[in-house]
Amino acid sequence: MGRQVAIISAGFSEHASKRSDVNMAELVNEAVNDCLKKVPSLSIKDIDAYVNGNMPAFEGANLPELWMTDWLGARNKPLIRVTTGGTTGGSVGIAGYYSVAAGLPGIDTVLAVAFEQQSQGDTSIGLSSVALGEISVLNTLGLPYEYLTRLMSAGGAIGLASYQAANYMNKSKIREEDLARVVVQNRRNAAKTWWSHLKMPNLTIEEVLDTPYISYPLRYGMVCPASDGACAVLFTTEEKAKDLCDTPVYVNGVASVAHESVIIGYDASGSAQLDPSEQLGAMKSSEIAYNQAGISFPRKEIDYAEVYSPFPNQELMWVEKLGLFEENTAPEMYENEVTSLNGELPICCSGGVNATNAIGASALERPAVAALQIMGKASNQVPKTVHTAIGHGWGGMLNLCTMMVLSDQQQRKWR
Amino acid sequence: MERVGIVGYYQVKLYSNANYGRYEMIFEAVRGALDSAELKKKDITTVVSCTNDYYDGRTISNAFTVEVGGAYLEDESKVEMDGAHAVLYGLMRILSGNHKLAVIWGGSMASCFPYHSARLYETDPTWERPVAYVNDITASGFQMRAYMEKYNVDIEEIAKISVKNRKNASKNPLALEEAQNANLSVNDILNSEIYADPVRELMVAQPCDGVAALLLAPEKQALKITDKPVWITGVGYNQETYYLGDRDLSISNSMELAGKMAFDAAGIKEPKNEINIAELFEAYAHEELIFSEALGLAEKGKGSELNSEIDGDLPINPSGGAQGGNPPCATGLIRIIEAAKQLRGEANGYQVKGAKKAVASGQIGMCAQNNIVYVLEGGD
Repeated sequence: MGRQVAIISAGFSEHASKRSDVNMAELVNEAVNDCLKKVPSLSIKDIDAYVNGNMPAFEGANLPELWMTDWLGARNKPLIRVTTGGTTGGSVGIAGYYSVAAGLPGIDTVLAVAFEQQSQGDTSIGLSSVALGEISVLNTLGLPYEYLTRLMSAGGAIGLASYQAANYMNKSKIREEDLARVVVQNRRNAAKTWWSHLKMPNLTIEEVLDTPYISYPLRYGMVCPASDGACAVLFTTEEKAKDLCDTPVYVNGVASVAHESVIIGYDASGSAQLDPSEQLGAMKSSEIAYNQAGISFPRKEIDYAEVYSPFPNQELMWVEKLGLFEENTAPEMYENEVTSLNGELPICCSGGVNATNAIGASALERPAVAALQIMGKASNQVPKTVHTAIGHGWGGMLNLCTMMVLSDQQQRKWR
Repeated sequence: MERVGIVGYYQVKLYSNANYGRYEMIFEAVRGALDSAELKKKDITTVVSCTNDYYDGRTISNAFTVEVGGAYLEDESKVEMDGAHAVLYGLMRILSGNHKLAVIWGGSMASCFPYHSARLYETDPTWERPVAYVNDITASGFQMRAYMEKYNVDIEEIAKISVKNRKNASKNPLALEEAQNANLSVNDILNSEIYADPVRELMVAQPCDGVAALLLAPEKQALKITDKPVWITGVGYNQETYYLGDRDLSISNSMELAGKMAFDAAGIKEPKNEINIAELFEAYAHEELIFSEALGLAEKGKGSELNSEIDGDLPINPSGGAQGGNPPCATGLIRIIEAAKQLRGEANGYQVKGAKKAVASGQIGMCAQNNIVYVLEGGD
């Protein structure tokens, strides 16, 4: 049961705050073309099925894959749509993996496409209904309306993120400089990635700390931009991958484990999860994915990591929760340049989500970049050889997490 | 394709305005499905949900359904299409060998958020939405007209489908009360309000509140869980192009291709003779005819000549189909559950005798742009 799955190509559109030169369908088409042109022996007709996803509320378009069918090349082809909030891209990638792994008759080569064109709509308005949905319930619990409208800002990403950042800072005793250092590394890396959004080759820690607070402890210079962009990843079987590509990247572990939604809980009656930097879901996700991939010592066995961190505190938290570093040691690793391009364990050399955030696409761009680093074809390629890499994503009310473990070797213990 | 077992299911009663909430409904459905198979929360290895942020009126609608859907600290995901597509993703997860018990649930509350208004956001945002001349209802009018004109089918023949399905729904205790009517006549259908000529109000599947859940397991586990598993032996899905002018609306190209994929997988050569019962998601009455023709259950244009009553040659939608209630994101899933009920002999009141093989379908998009078909077989 089940088949070995490999990634043979990944493509991107150019990312910017306003891609007003293209509409959603054309933006997606850029990524599809970039992905396919890297595999010259494969044409769009050879794609057997599609997986697509984005965050529909942000553009104000429901099920946009219906009218962009022809721009995907999906006319008269099997297609499914997977959306899970911030993890959408990761979920699309995982669905691409399962589409191939399942071995349905006639489905060998699957294109996973995720995108977001935030300039078409208003992301924060889209996010406000995340919290507003519970207002009626909270009202019945006796909370006055003027307090409840403040939940609109809690529904936006920044309110939730600053809560998580403050929790993490309290536990790990880090300073703002440690947050700014992560930002500097990411934006300098982004300057060397052709498709990234915020390219800042000469950014310094002082410059980041000189920007105003948006919500303590997060400053304007620390938060991710809102980008327009798309990403496409091509999955196929082991046999076909060997014919089509020099270095197939094998997908050896996938997981997307959900934890309880933070703060409010599903019925607003409170939640067992009061610490959003605890992240049991991420820990379980990585455990499942590492087990599938036969990885026992992530710190030793993983050569490269792309984590989903729109906010710098999250990058520090994720690399610890995903088992790459011991708890509370990540800031030190960034200070000692262990995580830089030339370091022992490079992290987010594409600039990461901190420099480019087309929300629906971001969690697919992580495994996409990780795969290209293994192939040796990434835009900001690390000098050392990468054998095993991870691509991670988070979303929802800080409760969803996707993980993909990639390697140049097939899964060691195939079930 | 290896066969995968349906080992449990549950559907809540459909209401046009339910007096309890979405989360309670989801919990009832998922818990009910687990109970029906005598399983526990700890037996779940993966959960695939199906909701739509627009139909729910809520961004990231799946973030809050984790606990009630049984997905707490489980490997989970969401398909934003029809419930039948979520079953496909659950099926893929089982077939990959990574998972041993998949919970699939789907549903929404159309009473909280207007379904047809939300569907306006599915149209091309540049050319079609601003003028709003085309939406899912007017598109169905084009589709019905194209079908009637091409094959010279009378409107009475299409009204008969509504009469049949609403009569069948009256025997289904879980169907929508407003749709349960055993005494409708063809004239009642034709005299109901015109939605988009020639589509009448009683030809439209009424959006309503409801959630359904289904359990899937690999063959080995399925045989241990239940004595009467229903096997998924084939699945096919397909999406055709969007623009109505580029499509022949009198047929369903995507359904034909999906049916071919499913029948090939299940080794079915002559669907008309081999299939005993069909549960099709007909968002509008005429779609039942178009779909049954696309699946080869009837000749092109001759769908209305098929006796599809419960005691007929090839019963179609004995449960009442989508005409018996259309909870967004659940309807296709309910079709699979109803087909499984027939194969297990559990369709009390509307049981088809001797059903061995069934097809069930789901769809999304204007004029069913994306279709999915399952071939189900009963245990021996």
